Amino acid sequence: MAGVPARIIVTDDLRRSRLTVFFRLLLAIPHLVWLALWTVAAFLAAIGNWFATLATGRSPELLYRFLAAYVRYSTHVSAFLFLAANPFPGFTGAAGSYPIDVEIAPRAPQHRLKTLFRLVLAVPALLLAGVLRSGGFAVGQGHGRHGGGSTGFSGSLGLLAVVAVLTWFAALARGRAPQGFRNMLAWGLGYVAQVHAYVLVLTDRYPNTDPGAVGVLGAQPAHPVRLRVDDDLRRSRVTVFFRLLLFVPHYIWLLLWGIAVLLAVIGNWFVTLALGRSPRAVHAFIAAYVRYQTHAYAFLGLVGNPFPGFLGRPGSYPIDVEIDGPERQHRLKTLFRIFLVIPALLVDYSLSVVLAIAAFLGWFAALVTGRMPTGFRNVGAWALRYSAQTNAYLYLLTDRYPYSGPEAAADEDEVEETSAQLAA
Amino acid sequence: MRPGLRLALLAIVAGVWVTVAVLLWRSSVVPGGLHLSGVDPHRYFNDSRLAQTASFERFERWDFVAAQLALVLVLVGYARWGGRFARESAAGRIGTGMLLGMLGLGFVWLAQVPFGLADLWWQRRHGASHVGYVEWIFGDWGQLGGSFAFICLALLIVMALAGKLGDRWWVPGAAAFVGLGLLFAFVQPYLLGKLHPLASRRPELAHAAHRIAAREGVDSVPVRVEDVSGETSAANAEAVGIGPSRRIVLWDTLLDGRFGDRQVRFVIAHEYGHQARKHIPKFIVWYALFAFPGAYLIARLTRRRGGMADPAAVPFSLLVLVVLQLAALPLQNVISRRIETEADWMALRTTHDPVADRRLMQSFTRTSLVQPDPPSWSYLLLDNHPTIMQRIALANAWEARTGR
Repeated sequence: MAGVPARIIVTDDLRRSRLTVFFRLLLAIPHLVWLALWTVAAFLAAIGNWFATLATGRSPELLYRFLAAYVRYSTHVSAFLFLAANPFPGFTGAAGSYPIDVEIAPRAPQHRLKTLFRLVLAVPALLLAGVLRSGGFAVGQGHGRHGGGSTGFSGSLGLLAVVAVLTWFAALARGRAPQGFRNMLAWGLGYVAQVHAYVLVLTDRYPNTDPGAVGVLGAQPAHPVRLRVDDDLRRSRVTVFFRLLLFVPHYIWLLLWGIAVLLAVIGNWFVTLALGRSPRAVHAFIAAYVRYQTHAYAFLGLVGNPFPGFLGRPGSYPIDVEIDGPERQHRLKTLFRIFLVIPALLVDYSLSVVLAIAAFLGWFAALVTGRMPTGFRNVGAWALRYSAQTNAYLYLLTDRYPYSGPEAAADEDEVEETSAQLAA
Repeated sequence: MRPGLRLALLAIVAGVWVTVAVLLWRSSVVPGGLHLSGVDPHRYFNDSRLAQTASFERFERWDFVAAQLALVLVLVGYARWGGRFARESAAGRIGTGMLLGMLGLGFVWLAQVPFGLADLWWQRRHGASHVGYVEWIFGDWGQLGGSFAFICLALLIVMALAGKLGDRWWVPGAAAFVGLGLLFAFVQPYLLGKLHPLASRRPELAHAAHRIAAREGVDSVPVRVEDVSGETSAANAEAVGIGPSRRIVLWDTLLDGRFGDRQVRFVIAHEYGHQARKHIPKFIVWYALFAFPGAYLIARLTRRRGGMADPAAVPFSLLVLVVLQLAALPLQNVISRRIETEADWMALRTTHDPVADRRLMQSFTRTSLVQPDPPSWSYLLLDNHPTIMQRIALANAWEARTGR
């Protein structure tokens, strides 16, 4: 296992029983009750484990096995609940007993200082895990007509919940879970399992967001919109510090260009509906905008380092989008495009929240180290790729639906490097 | 171009410049020969007030001077080493220039933060500001973002023109900036946030304001109130806008009971005076008179660094711009003081109330801790209004001339 606290193992075949899918929430009730009881015990055990590890530098065997089983069981239940897997899970969290399983880092000596400050160190990982599971929230203050202030909360579902809801509909209709959604869920559950293993003091390896580090999730299917990453992870501290302000001209230009693109897309819809193909000039104009969006948001989200140009030229930015030329498009898909794109937009929004959190945490890391952690960069690149594919679909550049799964596993060296960065 | 022809052209341009400047200068309705010095501050202010305002403004003044020194030092450093940030850009020539311009602005902002905080601490200590430190740092991000957007627009204009016209970019460039100044003057009232009609706060003052406006021939210009009392206790008012966007804006601190109605009427008459005498369009003409030679000097001085078409010249151009602005400050203050004196004169002519004028000045000293007789160097370099004593002297002079 390449330096990560836990690794997801996927043996799921994507098949889903429509009956258990339909009643999934109700079927999960006994597991949720049992998980709640187990969580109380795990909480107490984790406190004992923390003291013991602090004293002896290693987790006691009994506590390690108990807590590891808890992490596995929690993952099995979540996988069942979120439709990442099909069968009804067992209640013991036995290793290898479920199609979405977790391999936890072996019991090994742990750094005492990292153990002492474990909860503080875990805050960034907990923040990201919280966003994945429960979504983001914002606190806002408004002023009433008579000058009175009011505080309000606005929230959004987490990425896993959004994908689970969409998978529910898809699985009911087709009897199968879409591969992209399943892989996305597996990635999210894998990351949450890593955070659990870290917080429960099973290992002192830091959770890694890199999709490649979480587990082997299969290759991405061919798609006319592809992301190319030539970034070397180096970041200029000065431009990182001022990143939000440096984005201002791009924000304005995105808005202005966006108005022209909106008009072009409306025209493109009529033409594509009539001809079955997007006109080359319009396709090129909109494709440049999609590329520019990716460059600009890569810059904002610290996925890329240099200040991007304003024209969306191909190959002009280390995080670039390759978009194939106009191809034939299914007229029915074109006619209903605005409705068909809704699930993708929901996923895109949830992924953009993940990108924002990764950028926020990466901002601190890049400011201190002058480098972007690979995990954050890669998860950001994934979000940008999905966003580019969603926009290309919405803007009628292609009728291929965006692929939501993360990229194929990164090479082991890169994962090792990320884990070493995180450990440091 | 032949040297003789160039000299002749220069003479014509200089002649036009001087003619326009003289016409603007002489357009004032304030009679010449008024004696606005020699009034003893002790006649109007007690020793304790004079000591308090002197102490307050001394700190403000030196904080400002230190901030300007820091600004120049930072820009000198940035002009020397800022070019290296060009490697952090994947944008083209103009985009890279924008990045360098924004980073320069970012460094300037960072360098000004300690002085701004010191000033805020001083104002809070004297009850002149209610803004919290965190709010001060994070509250104006919108304005800072606006500055970043503006510098990008400015560099887009300059670098695009320099790419096409070489060193002659300054002629259309300066004209473009004058156009932007005109546009900004027009839209400024709409950028001030929510403004309230004076009639909704003080109906009787609104009637008086209408009469004043009619007397000054600007009765289509409305008076609005801006809520600033959450941030400051200082009182102020301003005339903004051009043509249909013209407004008189009173801070709500002026209406909180510390100023009598006669004093507020005088303020309104002063601001209407600005509108009646077309001071905002005149300011823009003055701005044009400075913008053309300023742009020329920037074009000339950046030539050795590749000219404004080259992003590498951007950090140095920021330094040149700031130094030119600082050098022009005393001259701009002279112009501003003359315009403010004219507005005071208009208010005296309209209200016939020099007593209210004098009491208003005394109130400003009390509420905003304005020093009535600042040191000469500060007056010349920093003050864009006549001193409190000069304004009282103007009221006395008006009284003497009209025999009231």
